[in-house]
Amino acid sequence: MRLMLTLVSVLVLIACEATAPPDPGPVGTVRVDQRMGGTADPGFARAITVPEFTFPRDHGPHPEYATEWWYFTGNLHTSTGHRFGYQLTLFRIGLEPGMPVTDSAWRTHQIYMGHLAVSDIGSGRHHSAERFARAAAGLAGAELGPLHVWLGPWSIRGDPVATFPLHLSAQGEGFAIDLRLERGAKPRIDQGEQGLARKGATPGKASYYYSFTRLPTHGEILIGERRFAVSGSSWWDREWASSAMPASQVGWDWFALQLTDGRELMFYRLRDQDGRTQAFSSGVLVSADGAHRKLQAADVRLEATRHWQTDDGIRYPVAWRLAVPDAGLDLHVETAFDDQEMHHSVRYWEGAVGVSGSHNGVGYLELSGYAR
Amino acid sequence: MKPHSLPPLLLRAGLRYQRRHPWQAALALIGIVMGVAVVLAVYLANEAAKASFALSAEQLRGAATHRATSADDQVPEIVYTRWAVDPGHPPMAPVVTGQLRIDGQTGRYRLVGLDLFAEGPFRDELPGAINGEVALGDWLAQPNAAALSRSAADTLGVGLGDRIQVRFEGSPYELAVFAIIETTSVASRDLILTDIATAQAVRGSPGFISHIDLKLTDDAALAWLKERLPPGLEIVDIAQQTRSTLGLSASFELNLTAMGLLALLVGLFLIFNAISFSVVQRRNLLGRLRALGVRGDEVLRLVLAEAFVLGCIGTLLGIVLGVWLGQGLTRIVAATVSQLYYQAAADALQLDALSLFKAVALGLGGTLLAAWLPAREAAATPPLTTLSRAKLEQRVQARLPRLALSGGLLILLGLIIAFRVPGGVVSGFVGLFLLILGAALVTPSGLRLAHRLLDRLPGSGIWRMAVRDLDRHLSRLGTAAAALMVALAASVGVAVMVESMRLAVSDWLQDALSADLYVAAEGFQDGASLPATVAAQAARWPQVSAISRYRDRSLQVAGRRMTLIAADLAPPTRTGFDFTSGAQNRAWSGFDRGELLVSEPLAYRLGLSTGDRLSLPTPTGPIDFAIAGVFRDFASEHGRAFLERSKYQGIWSDDRVDSLALFSDQGGQGLQRALDPVLRDNPTLQVTEADGIYQESMQVFDRTFRITEVLRWLSLLVAFIGVLSALMAVQLERRKEYAVLRALGLTRQQVSTLILLESGALGLLAGLLAIPLGIAMAWILTDAIQLRAFGWSMPFVVSPGPLWLTSVLGVLAALLAGIYPAWRSAWRDPAPMLRED
Repeated sequence: MRLMLTLVSVLVLIACEATAPPDPGPVGTVRVDQRMGGTADPGFARAITVPEFTFPRDHGPHPEYATEWWYFTGNLHTSTGHRFGYQLTLFRIGLEPGMPVTDSAWRTHQIYMGHLAVSDIGSGRHHSAERFARAAAGLAGAELGPLHVWLGPWSIRGDPVATFPLHLSAQGEGFAIDLRLERGAKPRIDQGEQGLARKGATPGKASYYYSFTRLPTHGEILIGERRFAVSGSSWWDREWASSAMPASQVGWDWFALQLTDGRELMFYRLRDQDGRTQAFSSGVLVSADGAHRKLQAADVRLEATRHWQTDDGIRYPVAWRLAVPDAGLDLHVETAFDDQEMHHSVRYWEGAVGVSGSHNGVGYLELSGYAR
Repeated sequence: MKPHSLPPLLLRAGLRYQRRHPWQAALALIGIVMGVAVVLAVYLANEAAKASFALSAEQLRGAATHRATSADDQVPEIVYTRWAVDPGHPPMAPVVTGQLRIDGQTGRYRLVGLDLFAEGPFRDELPGAINGEVALGDWLAQPNAAALSRSAADTLGVGLGDRIQVRFEGSPYELAVFAIIETTSVASRDLILTDIATAQAVRGSPGFISHIDLKLTDDAALAWLKERLPPGLEIVDIAQQTRSTLGLSASFELNLTAMGLLALLVGLFLIFNAISFSVVQRRNLLGRLRALGVRGDEVLRLVLAEAFVLGCIGTLLGIVLGVWLGQGLTRIVAATVSQLYYQAAADALQLDALSLFKAVALGLGGTLLAAWLPAREAAATPPLTTLSRAKLEQRVQARLPRLALSGGLLILLGLIIAFRVPGGVVSGFVGLFLLILGAALVTPSGLRLAHRLLDRLPGSGIWRMAVRDLDRHLSRLGTAAAALMVALAASVGVAVMVESMRLAVSDWLQDALSADLYVAAEGFQDGASLPATVAAQAARWPQVSAISRYRDRSLQVAGRRMTLIAADLAPPTRTGFDFTSGAQNRAWSGFDRGELLVSEPLAYRLGLSTGDRLSLPTPTGPIDFAIAGVFRDFASEHGRAFLERSKYQGIWSDDRVDSLALFSDQGGQGLQRALDPVLRDNPTLQVTEADGIYQESMQVFDRTFRITEVLRWLSLLVAFIGVLSALMAVQLERRKEYAVLRALGLTRQQVSTLILLESGALGLLAGLLAIPLGIAMAWILTDAIQLRAFGWSMPFVVSPGPLWLTSVLGVLAALLAGIYPAWRSAWRDPAPMLRED
């Protein structure tokens, strides 16, 4: 689950296109409000009832909700074993509910924010970029038939018939990804209660959330002048909501792990001000044949084993012990390399991890709410 | 005594002299102060006007290096949006701009619509500045959200939440102040910022943006763009483009520059006169020092040291006075600019290093130079000769022919350079400068000539004495007369130039405005066009015997703007054209075949004449047009061209009409009565009789030159004070002489008469000499400089008004200068004066 935008009352940066430097510096900022934290405009719809997902419709946009995203992460490697992690996320942010006046093609209530990162594990370098555009005049948007989500030149394109394979294409300064994501054998996982993922006790403090946990991926990663033919597997999260996060939550630690035995594990730990795990933390364990079971906070034992500190003193827990005793899992989750911080309008850590211990695997870890 | 121990003693001698002659010192100081002040004031006002323009034009340019634009500033937005989704695009931002009028406000305001999300690389302060004040959702979604700079809000007297009624091309739109930006980078007083969607709505031009800002760091980026550039669009290097497209009219700027140069000249002469006089009058003292054994170079150094002290004090005071005057002038300039062009700030006055340097260079440099010439002369002269006044006058007189000759040559050279040497406006000004210098050199000879002529007139003894004095005191009076003459001539020159232009414009307007009624859409001046039905039906309106239709379009030709006017021209309209090249009937038959008629400024600028071809950008690419004729035109300094309307429609697919000229046998008022019912149905039509347009145009003309008038009077006033002080110094120096005359038995009356006569004669002479020089200056300004700057040729007309005003002023200044010395010499007891020295 990626409520990343939410807790931090987001200062969305109108930064320098896709070429934002790691430190955005004192450039102008645009206050996007607490889109999911805080209170959204009551004119937006809420995730209250259990959804009936319809596809491909629900792959497309839901402008009646304040926020939504198409969130891809994955671990890839070349034939010679050079490893990469990647993240491509397109966020749709509704600034106001309803339709705008139609006096100009540029008029809109919706904007898109995009984050792109490539972790070059072989050389220990993290490349990232951020983009913004209004969802108007063809600059950014999402549409169906076939699925097409784009933000400037960044795009997610679905196959006209079956949505899959998906084609991901995005560029930063001196790096780019161009990937094909196949459907694979694993089914879609509807998170929470058949897709309704509660984040708090109040009705409406929830999101609609489904995932594709293992998408066979191949394509190309460009770093500088070098092109790498890569393959591996990706994870796709889709989520939409309006002010889903209770105010008491300050951040979360999110794990998406793909184990070599064919299982996937997703777990998010919601933290309060004092760093305590909140009751609505939850997850899912997907077996090799696609069956899945829900994980409650009590099912999982989680313990940070190592922290990495940024130059300006922010401490991220980048190594963990994660155990699900009744599933026979006792995992050591360790970052592929330390500095995979996303330092743009929103500051968080998101990076490729390796899994060892009782089982081996790869995955992605997201740490939010530490840079406060 | 060692030679090098002398200077302190000498300095004391010099200072003692100044203390004993405070009047002379003070008057010399006034000369310097006035000279420095007027130059600095005019310079500051000019710079403020330019700076305010530059601020307005460039502050929003940001980091952009290039701009993708079309000839008419209408770029289909799809060009941008297509590039934006292409991975290879360079940093770019779409911009929608437009000129707005605000109800109840004079001047135009600049609407700038931006996409904040694209602005990061260009105007990085802007998104934060706007977004700190207004929620992003409101900014994007509220169709009336606007941000003003603090100074714009203050000018308009509005605060947050207030509404502003704006008009674009006459169409109204309501904006609301959502943000007031305090940062200085968007301080422009005429700026209204909105989201790009809002700007499109205000302009009523969905689908189009004005241009695309680009930041191109290498040739590859430029090549990338050029590969994808649709026809009709071009990539412009912004640095090369700035001036010609926006705002401040070049004629206005030239005006200011010319006045600045004239002020400089007047200032130089004032200083030169004041200082050289203060040295000349001390030749006696210097001669005595030489006789006592002081070396020539020591005398020179003494004089220069003194001049340095005087120059420092004078320059300092001049700077203070100049800044004060400059503030006043700046306000006037800003008011004019605001009325005619855009909202200019009067608070842009900046005393930068350059202006200070100029003031110091003029004040101190001018003073030292003015002291050096006579001091060198005194230093190089044998002591006994120096002591003798008569010898000095003899030498001056002996030099007169040489001076006059070189003056004459300079005048000739000036005229040749101004009229025959290519080099644009600059050579015009160089010629002007040489002319003035030459005339100044000739002035002493003129004084001599006048003396000879006046001497032949019958007159009393006092009259004869006065006339002869003119000749006897040539060393002192010559420079004073030249200074007064230059100041007066400058004023004559500018006045005659403005008057010539005014007459030419007026004649041209009367010819051009031949129709009985003119019909345009409300907001026509800002580009509004007529409703299609009006344009179509107008020919059938009652009492209309003939009709001309016009459609204006701005095009970019050879890197500059011009206006293309597509027109159906009725026969009576055609008679209003005055062709400077090409025969009348051939021009019209060419026009009817689809050839161009180009205005004189355009022809001048592009070096075109009848039969040449001009390539115009069209939606289908450039097309060559033959030129059927060149017509006299003051409507635009950028140039205009007429094209037959059906030909235009075929190429531009545009059948809109901006304005109509209606002819009737009933005359303007009769026609207006007949059209009453039609006009009542179309309340947005603006109907004007030719006379109304004429009056309005002349008002604009007068407003443009109002600042010229102010500056002219200011430099005249300063010259007046300067010359007054110089002449007074001359007369005061001669107190002793007058005392002798009194002692010899001249009555008080006679002495006063003598002084006033002498002074008045000098003033009259300067005034008379100023007239030919002023006319020559006006001639250069009109036929060389204006023509080169704008391609305007105009009949050169000299009206008597300024000429005689000048003579009167000259006499008046001189008489006033004589009053105090006359009173003093006449009423003081001559005895102590005789005992002096």
